[in-house]
Amino acid sequence: MRLLIRMLALALGLAITMTGAVVLAGVGWAMAQPTRGALPPWPRWLARAEELAWTANTIRVTACVLVAAGLAMLLLAALAGRHDVYLQDPAPDVTVTTSPRSLARIVGQRVRGTDGVRSASVTASARSVRVRATSRLLDERRLRPVLIEQVNELVNELPLARVPHVHVVVHSAKDKP
Amino acid sequence: MSRESRAAVARSERLDRLTVGGIGALAAAAGAAALVVSAGWLGRPRASRPLADPIALQWLQAHQPWAQVGALVVGVLLVLFGLWLASRTLRPEPRPDLVLEDDAETAGGLRVTAQAIAEAIRADAESVSGVAEARARVVRVNDTPALRLQLRLRHGADVHAVWSELDKRVLTRARESLGVPAIPTAIRLELGSAQRQRVK
Repeated sequence: MRLLIRMLALALGLAITMTGAVVLAGVGWAMAQPTRGALPPWPRWLARAEELAWTANTIRVTACVLVAAGLAMLLLAALAGRHDVYLQDPAPDVTVTTSPRSLARIVGQRVRGTDGVRSASVTASARSVRVRATSRLLDERRLRPVLIEQVNELVNELPLARVPHVHVVVHSAKDKP
Repeated sequence: MSRESRAAVARSERLDRLTVGGIGALAAAAGAAALVVSAGWLGRPRASRPLADPIALQWLQAHQPWAQVGALVVGVLLVLFGLWLASRTLRPEPRPDLVLEDDAETAGGLRVTAQAIAEAIRADAESVSGVAEARARVVRVNDTPALRLQLRLRHGADVHAVWSELDKRVLTRARESLGVPAIPTAIRLELGSAQRQRVK
């Protein structure tokens, strides 16, 4: 995501430079040599623009593409933020962070180490930790409180700046009719 | 949490995001405006006029010198802005050296390179128990050098113990040896990763 948005910014920068260069070349040439025709094919572009009415399909399609591309870029820019999980500061001028992936990894290790858990998947952010565990031996009523306690203990042990909410879902073979 | 240490966590992407978002917003607005005209919401006659409106062309013809100068200025601004943007995205993150004693008269002085500081701190941090691997880098935040440390902790390492040892030994020593009262530091922890197997 970060690389993508940087490449996009670079491409936009180059495109803007190109546009500016074409404008400069065209207008500069027209000012220096008013009699010898234009450098970019202005007259042809102008003739085409005089033909096209605003209701033409070309215009509509171009406008739709423009709106879609613009919204996609806006969305990308909005989503490209950092999702660091902050820990408490050990000293005034020290900031400690970890990645959501790291947090999910240690929670997953703890959950998988719990008796009765067959497999687990974890997603984590600074605000919440979501655990989905499957079990064959224990039903949800018995396993879920254990897992919530385990994960809460782990999350409170870590000096996180903000203690995330813990959500646990258990799928158990025992619960199936 | 000081603002400097927080800014040192990662390279800022604000400019990239602002340009991409801003140009995206402009493109969406232009497209929407064209659709509005095309749908006839500004009046049927407006929609059936050509793209290059004769009235606008006449006006441009009448004011040709000014229009040309205006176009030139716009072109120069576009080229400058585009080049600035491209160079900003391509430029690598600065790694400032630390100037301890500036002696302008003899053009000498004492300068510690960013690589030297980073290497010394990396070696120090790796000696802390519980740290499997460390990476250090000197970055510039608000024109002052700051430190970015990435630590991979061993499985089951106590984060509190690592912190206090890091703060007491590594960072204090760095501050003392560099003779600065404080270095803004950002630490990125990687927790619970598997031990890397070394092939012998």
